[in-house]
Amino acid sequence: MFGTLRDFAQGFLGRGEATITVPSFDGALKPNQALERAETLLECDAPEDLATDGTKVYLADGMSLARFEGNGLTTLREFDRPITALACLRGGGIAVALDGREVRIYPDPVAPNPSAIFQGAGMRSVNALAPAGSEALFATDCSATRDVDEWAWDLMERGRSGRALRLDLKTKEITELASDLRYAFGACATDGSAIISESWRHRLIAVAPDGMSKIVLSHLPVYPSRISPAQGGGWWLTAFIARTQLVEFVLREPAYRKRMMAEIDPEYWIVPRLKSGKSFKEPMQGAHLKAMGVVKPWAPPRSYGLVIRLDASCKPMFSLHSRADGFNHGIVSAVESGGWLYMIAKGPRRVLRLPIEGLAKEFGA
Amino acid sequence: MSDVIISLEKATKLYAGVAAIEDVDFELRRGEIHALVGENGAGKSTLTKVMAGVVALTTGTMKVDGAKASPGTPLEARQFGVAMVFQENSLVPTMTVAQNLFLGQERFYNRLRGINIAAQQFLQSLNFDVSPTAIVSGLGAAKKQMVEIARAVLHNAKVIIFDEPTAALTPEERKYFFDLARDLKKRGVSIVFISHALEEALILADRITVLRDGKKIVTDDAYKFDRASIVKAMVGRDLSHTLYGVKKTTVRPAGERMLTIQNLKMAPMVKNNSLSIFAGQITGVFGLVGAGRTETFKIVAGVMKRDFFHGGDIVLRDKPVRYRVPAPAVKAGIAYVTEDRKVEGFFETTSIARNVYLGLLAKFPGGRGLLSRREQSASGAIWIKRLNVRAIGNEAKVIELSGGNQQKVVIAKSLIQEPDIIIFDEPTRGVDVGAIVEIHELINRLADEGKAVVVISSYLPEILGLSDRILVSRQGKVVEEFSALEATEEKIMYAAIH
Repeated sequence: MFGTLRDFAQGFLGRGEATITVPSFDGALKPNQALERAETLLECDAPEDLATDGTKVYLADGMSLARFEGNGLTTLREFDRPITALACLRGGGIAVALDGREVRIYPDPVAPNPSAIFQGAGMRSVNALAPAGSEALFATDCSATRDVDEWAWDLMERGRSGRALRLDLKTKEITELASDLRYAFGACATDGSAIISESWRHRLIAVAPDGMSKIVLSHLPVYPSRISPAQGGGWWLTAFIARTQLVEFVLREPAYRKRMMAEIDPEYWIVPRLKSGKSFKEPMQGAHLKAMGVVKPWAPPRSYGLVIRLDASCKPMFSLHSRADGFNHGIVSAVESGGWLYMIAKGPRRVLRLPIEGLAKEFGA
Repeated sequence: MSDVIISLEKATKLYAGVAAIEDVDFELRRGEIHALVGENGAGKSTLTKVMAGVVALTTGTMKVDGAKASPGTPLEARQFGVAMVFQENSLVPTMTVAQNLFLGQERFYNRLRGINIAAQQFLQSLNFDVSPTAIVSGLGAAKKQMVEIARAVLHNAKVIIFDEPTAALTPEERKYFFDLARDLKKRGVSIVFISHALEEALILADRITVLRDGKKIVTDDAYKFDRASIVKAMVGRDLSHTLYGVKKTTVRPAGERMLTIQNLKMAPMVKNNSLSIFAGQITGVFGLVGAGRTETFKIVAGVMKRDFFHGGDIVLRDKPVRYRVPAPAVKAGIAYVTEDRKVEGFFETTSIARNVYLGLLAKFPGGRGLLSRREQSASGAIWIKRLNVRAIGNEAKVIELSGGNQQKVVIAKSLIQEPDIIIFDEPTRGVDVGAIVEIHELINRLADEGKAVVVISSYLPEILGLSDRILVSRQGKVVEEFSALEATEEKIMYAAIH
């Protein structure tokens, strides 16, 4: 009863859980257009994830697993289901998550048969994999109720069924590290712990092997997604969309959300998008975004592109943006290899590449 | 009859030997709207105050209708036909509109009904929709301004001077003010107005005068200006001769995010303001008067309160906080060094030591059991030495100190609280040059020690010389962020007024 009263009071006064505030993009998150000058390496059908073994970069594109060789792309194998996550393992192996429900381990990318298959344990939407030493993998299962592609539904339902898992390559056991996460989307190993992106809570948490978790980065103005290690220590964190007050407002209006989900074409929901600008029916179009026919870069972003460079303690150092008037939106994966940062812009379905040298200096880190 | 209604020749006004305006020649033509623009401290207000009889010229002459005039009081200026509408309006809030209109013109016998009828007729003749019986404190900013204007017209003003007339107005009210100014012009009234909003000057004025550092830079027809040329004239000082001449070549990297302000609201000054403050850095906050900078940080420090409904969030070290009074903010490590030291900064008739000790006591919201005179004396002596306060002993009264040393006492009051976030609001306003350097060194030292330092300043060279990171505030929110390496006076000013 007290909880109900508290919720009512907070909703009435706009406080606590009912605040519709968004942190600003400032300091290391100060907007720029660095992603717009990135080289477009490839335009493909359904790019989903990238992985690197330190020398080569692998791409999960729909049901295909491919490898960048020079400036070209070689398809290594096809699966019968879409790949939802990808990771390179120590010793040359590769791990792929298929349709979010199954994780297969191959001793090498072209090996005909998997050396291990992980299934069950409630896995429904595995969307990120990361090696944890030589004997395990960390995985994030974003939602127990929605598929990987249905992230907007999960957001609107205020889903909190995400999990972080540890897949033991030796014993083939699946251990649940953390549960009740609000859309787990991205994992990385550090000192035995896993750093997990919790998108709907706009934060990163470190989960120890015993399940104890602590917040390492919070109050982000974005929905964080996959993480990968950076050369020289630290991490590359992608964020597939920026938060807006409009979406925060909608998230605090359950009746509105319910009607919107029941009556309106999902294409035109007030939710973040990986790309925008196709239809005049989209919310936050027209006058909100355009002045004299030009999209305002500072307009409320329906879609956005962002990669954040974190230091070893997960403090942002600098960030690469594609703003409201840009195209390279919906960055879901970024890996560093050979002095280049490879990224997937899922909005325009592109694989991008940007030289890393000079970025830190350019952005004053 | 001459085309010029007011002229000033070689007008100079010194305050304690410092020139607020120097050798300024100014002409106001009959029936023209003349805009005065310039940075804060450029001398705009002094120039208008001279015309309105608020201050007298030190040297130089002023002529009204060709005849020499030196009004010593606003009443004398009014007799010359010059009236001024101040930014902080000069109406008596507890009186009615009619009473305010006729204030100073009372007869021996006054009939309230008669005054109300006369005021009603007069307001209608000006087409002002204000009730003569309304109490002034209940009126909005625009209506108060109407009453001020009506009072000026009632006194047969030939010249009306407006100081920041649109600062407190909504866009609709602003448009109404523009129409009103044009209407007054048609009636043959000359108007001088000060504005930081350059587009207003460009739209409304016939001629524009740009002042800088107390000197007139240029006067010309408004159509010959554009925004860029005005900005250049406003800030085009030779930096090499100023105290803050050296441009930064390195900046301190951002440390931990100490404070995040999210969508903060306090009508009408703070409008959805969001920003972050980092440890180990000086964050400069620039904005023109009325940009909501001071109010934002006063809310953070618990001096002011945000809006009750949907007032936004303040997150201190990842924890939402809301301070209704300053004491818990002080306890949490936030120190606010006020811009108005004489009113809010210290008890001027008590000693330096006691003032500093009061700063320490402020850290204990529930009070402190035992007060120690010895501790008071010792802490006073320590801080006098540390901040190099020039005074005859730590028992010297603050009122006896110079502005710079008074400011150091205010700073000492805050630093004794050992804060993690220190907000300096106009830290060198009214401070002598020597003390400015010392205060700047102190601010730099605090940042080097890892404190999160905020410097709010209206003086661009100070912002550029001190800050590692510059936030530009306009109309109640931060609109732009610059690194000190990329910032220029033109860029900052453009962001502040565009």
